[in-house]
Amino acid sequence: MRDRKSFPKRLTSPRRTTAISAPSPTDISHEFMDLALEAAHCRELPTFLAGLASRASEILKASWGAVGEIHGHKVELHRRNVQIPENAVDRDWIAANVKLRRTGLEVLPWEGQSSFCVFYPIYASDQELMGTLCLRRSTPSMSAEEERLLAALASYAALVMEKVRRFSQLERSKKQWVEDIDAISDYIVVHDQAWNIVRTNRSLASHLGIPPVALVGEAMRTLRHIAETGSALPCPFCQNTVELREEYIATGEGRTFIVSTSRTRGATEEDGRTIHVLKDISDRREAERRYRELFDNIQEGLFFATPEGQFLDVNDAMVRMLGYESREELLRADVSAHLYPTRAAKERLVQTIAERGALRNYEETLRRKDGSLLHTLQNINAVRDPQGHIVQIRGLMLDVTEQKMFQSQLQRERDFNQKILNTTQSMILVLDTAGLISYANRRCFEAGYRQEELIGHRLGRLVENSHQQDFEGALQTTAHGQQVENLELRVKRSDGSMGYFSVSLSPSRDESNQVNSVVVVMTDITDAVLLQAKLAHTEKMATIGRLVSGVAHEVNNPLAAILGFTDLLLEDPQVPASAREELQIILRETQRTKEIVQGLLSFARQRPAQREPMQINAILRQTIRLRNYDFSSHGVEVTEEFNENLQMAVGDPQQLQQVFLNILNNAYDAIQESGNHGKIRIRTRQTTDFVEVAFIDNGTGVSETERIFDPFFTTKPAGKGTGLGLSICYGIVRAHGGEILCWNNEGESGSTFVVRLPIATETALAASMEAGR
Amino acid sequence: MTARTDPALAPILLIEDEPSVSAFVRTALERKGYRVVQASTGAEGLHQLATETYGGVISDIRMPGDINGADVHQWIQLNRPELGARIILISGDTANSETQSLLSRGSTPCIEKPFRVQQLISTVEKTFGKP
Repeated sequence: MRDRKSFPKRLTSPRRTTAISAPSPTDISHEFMDLALEAAHCRELPTFLAGLASRASEILKASWGAVGEIHGHKVELHRRNVQIPENAVDRDWIAANVKLRRTGLEVLPWEGQSSFCVFYPIYASDQELMGTLCLRRSTPSMSAEEERLLAALASYAALVMEKVRRFSQLERSKKQWVEDIDAISDYIVVHDQAWNIVRTNRSLASHLGIPPVALVGEAMRTLRHIAETGSALPCPFCQNTVELREEYIATGEGRTFIVSTSRTRGATEEDGRTIHVLKDISDRREAERRYRELFDNIQEGLFFATPEGQFLDVNDAMVRMLGYESREELLRADVSAHLYPTRAAKERLVQTIAERGALRNYEETLRRKDGSLLHTLQNINAVRDPQGHIVQIRGLMLDVTEQKMFQSQLQRERDFNQKILNTTQSMILVLDTAGLISYANRRCFEAGYRQEELIGHRLGRLVENSHQQDFEGALQTTAHGQQVENLELRVKRSDGSMGYFSVSLSPSRDESNQVNSVVVVMTDITDAVLLQAKLAHTEKMATIGRLVSGVAHEVNNPLAAILGFTDLLLEDPQVPASAREELQIILRETQRTKEIVQGLLSFARQRPAQREPMQINAILRQTIRLRNYDFSSHGVEVTEEFNENLQMAVGDPQQLQQVFLNILNNAYDAIQESGNHGKIRIRTRQTTDFVEVAFIDNGTGVSETERIFDPFFTTKPAGKGTGLGLSICYGIVRAHGGEILCWNNEGESGSTFVVRLPIATETALAASMEAGR
Repeated sequence: MTARTDPALAPILLIEDEPSVSAFVRTALERKGYRVVQASTGAEGLHQLATETYGGVISDIRMPGDINGADVHQWIQLNRPELGARIILISGDTANSETQSLLSRGSTPCIEKPFRVQQLISTVEKTFGKP
């Protein structure tokens, strides 16, 4: 671009020179008239401006003329004769000058063309620079006349440019408006008071498949097939003729429209216009319908409620769930007071939503209309306004009552089973496939076993060696799916002693019916076993007693005759001495038989001869005194461990002395046989109901403890005893309502005999007084 | 207890079902000079008591049939009160509860089988007197 500084100094007051061949005033006035005509008929501004430039050149004797029109930053040159130098450099220089705001005429030398360029600004009425009139002249000077002409031409140009600009602006905005209207997808139709179409937008026309202009003047009723509001008016979209503004629904051809109607009042009655805007809401309607369908048919309860919990809308499932007749009934009154069993429950809900804005899987128990409880699972969202205040809560509600009931029933069953497991008097254990204990119920620990000695260990460890095979066999059977019931095993108790246990093993199966564990139920039946053994023994002894009693009777008669006749024979002096000796033997043996029978009868005796209160310790001391000499001379030591506060027992002291003596004699014999340094401990003890006497010796022990009290059972050499001593003791003690027991000492030699006698209660004493009379 | 009557005039009634025992007792008593009438059942004994006069009665307690020693004892207390203190019972089983209760009621002497001749004679002499 050319540097303006290199330009000669601006001529603010150009020299006026006389024109060499100036056009006559008539010509000039003709030119101006033509110009006015052109301006009036101007359709194209560039043509007019080019024409104006050309006339200006002629009038002002310029070799080249142009009107530079400013469009924002750009400059457009309008001229007719373009043969005069038009290179890019010149054009840029001209354009730059066109954009300069000047107060009036400026003449600048046109460098390289040896000429001058005259610039005259064209201002709009609002002082906006619209362009510049440019003329190339050979001289820089300009007459006042010429300058006036130039100003007139520029103002002409300004007048026309402004007019054209305004016009085109109007055109543009009108066109824009139509385009805008046409761009609206809603149908727009304007009709007059005569119900004829004045305008429609493009989308309505294209819906009908015709250009918009084709509809102008047609009657509104031709649009009836699009939609109708149902009114009797000639316009299918009008509901009345007076409302200035209204909105309603119109339907047709399976579509639904929302019709917005506006009415304008014209200057006269006929000028009034009605504008209908038809918005197709079919899709929205469909979406709404689907939503409503979903809302109504979904099995879960849906609700909209105020932030305080008052229902605004609910679906049918919700109504059903809460046991109401209808949606209306549920919405009519504020049911929340009834709905929430406690006021606190509702407040908690409202509070939580206010704090968190949402609740996920919230469990709540509600009350149905009939008062029954409904267990629900809810998901709730809060809807907030732009200020963040909660305006509504929306939620989904599931009826989980059945699951809850099932769950609680399951829980109850579990509790019930747990209770059984915990309270049963049987030990219940579960063994895994490896035979290791994986579970033990509470009873096991109550019985004294420790967790660490059971869990993870083999149960077989506790079973007595001689029963191992039975137990392992039972395990095998169970592993093959069979149940084993009431296996009697000797099992080590927690205190180390062996007890009798009834053991049942049941297979437990997994989903694929494979035995995956064994349930073992163990009951300590030691007491029962011992009691049963005792009962069996008692029963046996009673049977023997009856038998013996019968035999003794039958034997007594012949024995009486034998004894009697033997006596008579011995009294007879005629009997020779030799026969007398033999009769003596008969007599002796008969008497021995008599003693045996009497012993048997003592064993079988039903009740003691005497019943009186007795001091057991005293009877014992008396008995010991009887044998003391014998014992000490044979190195047998008797120690007395007496409870001196022993209560009295009831019975026959004589008979009991016989019992104690018999036991002592037996102990003495057993010690003699063993060759041990003899020791007999006699201990008395008080229990709740009994006085207990224990004789603990260190003799040979008893070979068959269970038969020791049987009549004629003896381990002594033949002739040493009748085998009735302990049987008689048994009979006596039983007759006293007591019991006599015998066992071999554990871990040491010898045996223990225990005699238990009932204590002298008042009733027992009264009974003894009665019997004594 | 001693009774001073004339045993020669009235015999002793022996009620005993066991023949060998009955024979031994009769022999023993006759050797001492007593007269003895035997009955082998309780019923027979009561018949004898109702028809004849006796100086004393020796009866076994347990006997077959409807009438045992206890019944005989009771009959005598009711119908022959003069013989009430002249009864000796023979028992094969003193341990029997029935016998026990009978004996505990009064002072009737009882000899337990098997017994010696001396035992029998001393009891008879004490109860009935010497012949």
